[in-house]
Amino acid sequence: MASPLENFVNNVRSLCTQGNYRELCDVLNKSSDVLVKFSQHLDNVLQTLDLQQHSLGVLAVLCVKLGMPPPSPPPAGAAPPSGASAASPAPSPSQDYHELLFAQVQEFISGCNGEQVRYAPETYAEMCHLLTKNLTELRCPMRGIDLLARAIRKIQLSDSQLTSIHADLCRLCLLAKCFKPALDFLGTDITTISQEGVQFDAKYFLLYYYYGGMIYTALKNFDRALYFFEVAITTPALAVSHIMLEAYKKYILVSLILNGKVGNVPKCTSQVVGRFIKPLSQAYHDLATVYATNNSDELNNIVSNYQEMFNREGNMGLVKQVVASLYKKNIQRLTKTFLTLSLSDVAARVKLSGPGEAEKYILNMIEDGEIFATINQKDGMVIFHDDPEKYNSPDMLQKLEYEMSICAELDRRIQEMEEEILIDSQYIKKSSGTQDDDIAPTQTPKMSGFAM
Amino acid sequence: MPLPPNLAVMLQNAAEPMQVDIPPEDNDNTEEDPYLVENPTLDLEAYANSYTGLAKLYRLIYISDHCPSLRIDALKMAISAVMETYNVMLYQQLHRKLQDVMSTVSLPDVAGGGMQDIPTMDLVWVENKNKKGALKLEKLDLDLKNYKSNSIKESIRRGNDDLGDHHLDCGDLSNALKCYSRARDYCTSGKHVVNMCLNVIKVSVYLQNWSHVLSYVNKAESTPDFSENKEANQHIRTKLKCAAGLAELATKKYKTAAKHFLQANFDSCDYPELISPSNIAMYGGLCALATFDRSELQKNVIFSSSFKLFLELEPQLRDIIFKFYESKYASCLKLLDEIKDNLFLDMYIAPHVNTLYTQIRNRALIQYFSPYLSADMRKMAEALNTSIPALEDELMQLILDGQIQARIDSHNKILYAKDVDQRSTTFEKSIAVGKEYQRRTRMLILRAAMLKNQIHVKSPKRETGQGGGELSVAPGNSSISPRL
Amino acid sequence: MVPENINTLGDELEKQELDAPGGIPPPQVYAKLLAIYLYRNDLCNAKYLWKRIPPSSKSSYPELNQIWEVGKAMWQRDLPAVYSTIQNTPWSENIVNIMKALHEEVQKRATELVGRAYSSLSVDTFSALVGVRPEEAVKVAAQQHWQVDNGLVIPTRPVISTPPIASSEDQLYKLTDFVSFLEN
Repeated sequence: MASPLENFVNNVRSLCTQGNYRELCDVLNKSSDVLVKFSQHLDNVLQTLDLQQHSLGVLAVLCVKLGMPPPSPPPAGAAPPSGASAASPAPSPSQDYHELLFAQVQEFISGCNGEQVRYAPETYAEMCHLLTKNLTELRCPMRGIDLLARAIRKIQLSDSQLTSIHADLCRLCLLAKCFKPALDFLGTDITTISQEGVQFDAKYFLLYYYYGGMIYTALKNFDRALYFFEVAITTPALAVSHIMLEAYKKYILVSLILNGKVGNVPKCTSQVVGRFIKPLSQAYHDLATVYATNNSDELNNIVSNYQEMFNREGNMGLVKQVVASLYKKNIQRLTKTFLTLSLSDVAARVKLSGPGEAEKYILNMIEDGEIFATINQKDGMVIFHDDPEKYNSPDMLQKLEYEMSICAELDRRIQEMEEEILIDSQYIKKSSGTQDDDIAPTQTPKMSGFAM
Repeated sequence: MPLPPNLAVMLQNAAEPMQVDIPPEDNDNTEEDPYLVENPTLDLEAYANSYTGLAKLYRLIYISDHCPSLRIDALKMAISAVMETYNVMLYQQLHRKLQDVMSTVSLPDVAGGGMQDIPTMDLVWVENKNKKGALKLEKLDLDLKNYKSNSIKESIRRGNDDLGDHHLDCGDLSNALKCYSRARDYCTSGKHVVNMCLNVIKVSVYLQNWSHVLSYVNKAESTPDFSENKEANQHIRTKLKCAAGLAELATKKYKTAAKHFLQANFDSCDYPELISPSNIAMYGGLCALATFDRSELQKNVIFSSSFKLFLELEPQLRDIIFKFYESKYASCLKLLDEIKDNLFLDMYIAPHVNTLYTQIRNRALIQYFSPYLSADMRKMAEALNTSIPALEDELMQLILDGQIQARIDSHNKILYAKDVDQRSTTFEKSIAVGKEYQRRTRMLILRAAMLKNQIHVKSPKRETGQGGGELSVAPGNSSISPRL
Repeated sequence: MVPENINTLGDELEKQELDAPGGIPPPQVYAKLLAIYLYRNDLCNAKYLWKRIPPSSKSSYPELNQIWEVGKAMWQRDLPAVYSTIQNTPWSENIVNIMKALHEEVQKRATELVGRAYSSLSVDTFSALVGVRPEEAVKVAAQQHWQVDNGLVIPTRPVISTPPIASSEDQLYKLTDFVSFLEN
């Protein structure tokens, strides 16, 4: 074995025994060049390191391996360059290489020492990003889903901590069209964000919320989807991000489907949105304007005008759902004004093709609990009802209790945060006004201004 | 290799020509809609005689613009009126208009007789007037200068007023306004202040500068001298109320407009430079009908001894108001239709006729239904002079706007009052508020974490050359048509 | 059948798919999972499962296509097509029970929907919605104690049964909790 590598291994071993992980991290950061240079021998290095004891070292090696262009000697049968690197007589060396690497990462994630690895969260995240990239290129995103889910759990300090790996997981789920594994993560509200140094830039944050919004949209959980897109577009920004722009477009469409209108964006939205992103989403604004007139015919017109663009931007499916939602919204308007109405009148007012289609729409809406009505086929009439909910059932009580407990819990959380700030030394320094050096923007202590 | 798209891209430069917001159409100019009134029942002569000065001219011109049958007469009257002023420009303009009209109208017409009493442009008059006007201006200017050098406040004030009057007479509104406003610094008594205000108000009305009108009305009303002895100043009070009413009407605040007009005093009503008593009746009456509820209407209009006198001038309107009050909506609406044409010839109310009429109609509908738990729509349509489908549409709009709490039984054509279950709505609302709270709080907590970690989109600085590798999974975008 | 353990079975299958070597489980796993999603009326997940099944599995295991025929019909809410596809396809041992249960489930939901959504409907519509011949549809209506009159079915609204109330002690506990929250 070449001596620089020996050196490396010895360093890792001794620093680990001393428990001097900080210094180890520094050493590791500096040694990536060495590792790259001797990349052919990395598997040997791995064999000399213990997963539990030398987690950080293994991590560094794996990271370099993942970052390398696939198998070093891929073409030509000149397989065995030196030593006993690859013992298996495989059909495709490239595939083998990846299989081995994948197995190594898998082994590492389940076997590494979480506490030790947390000294280098950015390297850990980098490894996951690279893995994601590799799997994407190999077109087998499905394989990484479970692995990344475990990877996140391993590094997280709490369930509600966001890591940049979250975005990778969502990305793989989207690519694999398999969303369920992501839902556990998406459903947990984030309260802290892992410190990944430079690694955690806004890109992964935005991606997580953008992908998350897309997953919820795909599963037709529009309420959550809107929340995710809203987070994406309210992220502080000094420049235009394409992710934010796409999130904004989807935000408009999902708003229309869910609420029938686009509300004002929250106050804290950065100016970039108003100045650059809005003008770049003109077609979507036009759509929303026409939607507000409740005229389905005109909505269809504008959709066909912009069809090519919506297709190109991959939003046509959502746009179609927007169109369908207007029919539904108009039927809901009818339920507010009429007690009874003939099916043909419904069709005429909502601009459906005829009583048959109207009946189908109404039936579907009843099934989905979107309206309360009964159809009378004998007279061709619909009878609209009020919401039969009388708020007097044990069920409802339970639901109310549940909602209230969530509110109480959130309130408690806010109070905790306020206390945290109140005892924060920087805050005390600042508020007592003795010094005003520009400390990083801390949250204002006025959190609890949100009264119920 | 489609690594996520992204990376902040500064668009600062690319998006520089951002002034795409070319002036949004001003939709307030409803009056600009060119419309024509064919069969008015207006006595032009009497109408014109109720006004003086520019009010008369503007109103005649408005009529000539919107009513072919009265066009020539109106222009002729305007010309003879303008000849009493120094407004040479308008004189020439009117003649040009008249010529345009004659050339289109009289060609096929054999009415050679009519041609004779068509005035022709008197160039000598034009020249004379121009000269005289200039002379007078010079003299007034000189006078003012003398007063100023003697610094006698009262004289300066008068001098300014006179100069303003003359500018007005010449049709130079902006200079008139300047002179009148200048007088302000030389007012020595409350009376003068009020007088100055009235002058400014008058010109501002001509200029249609409504916010100016209102602020000067306020100023006049708050002058100590004026507010102290109300009785003595009825005359001025009425003028101020009328001006304020006009301004509120023009800015579509119909209810406030009605309140102002209703405060005009009949006996001291003399304001031909702006408005005639029958205008007051009409503007006040219609605005009140459109915006007052039943008891307000009764107290402030029907039982108002002073407004009653105004209404006597417009018997048709009086009938309309009484029919409305007696819930005889069909005849009320019919009468309203009858006076519509004349209203369209009135420059101040014309832009608002349609809105006011719709509001009156809606009020009738609401009032008609208010005592009922259920109402037969056939009878209702009859009472309101309309067809059942049209009524259904109107009702639908009113229900959606929340103006009527009711539901339509389209099958049996019955309108049912809807009783709102307070308890349920309260529950519904509180659940919604709770949800909103949860949502906002969650976002807040997240935002706190975001700020703490200083996450924000920065200007681009690095790598990632993967251009446009947009993820290809479009949610909901399926090969199967999305479910309905 | 056996709806009790159908959920655990579903979870198991999902896990199998995730853990499959190379990311591709045997087609039987796909088939079963797809059928279970349909049974649960979880059409979104069914649709995306269908989309992620590799073409090779689809062509080697034709039953997958047939299951999705049912799913597609459900997505389009074309109940007659749902019934006919389920009934006219010879399902393999692997999923025959689930498909049978699915059939019953769809029928049950449709009947329940008719009870909610119609005050009167023709026997023909009714038979199409529940997927039986008109003569039998009349019997189904009778089972629900609905009147059948002159070719019209007159459903009555279903009575919603109230679930048992939680213990009062529990209630009291929660109540104190809320009061203390509101007062602080």
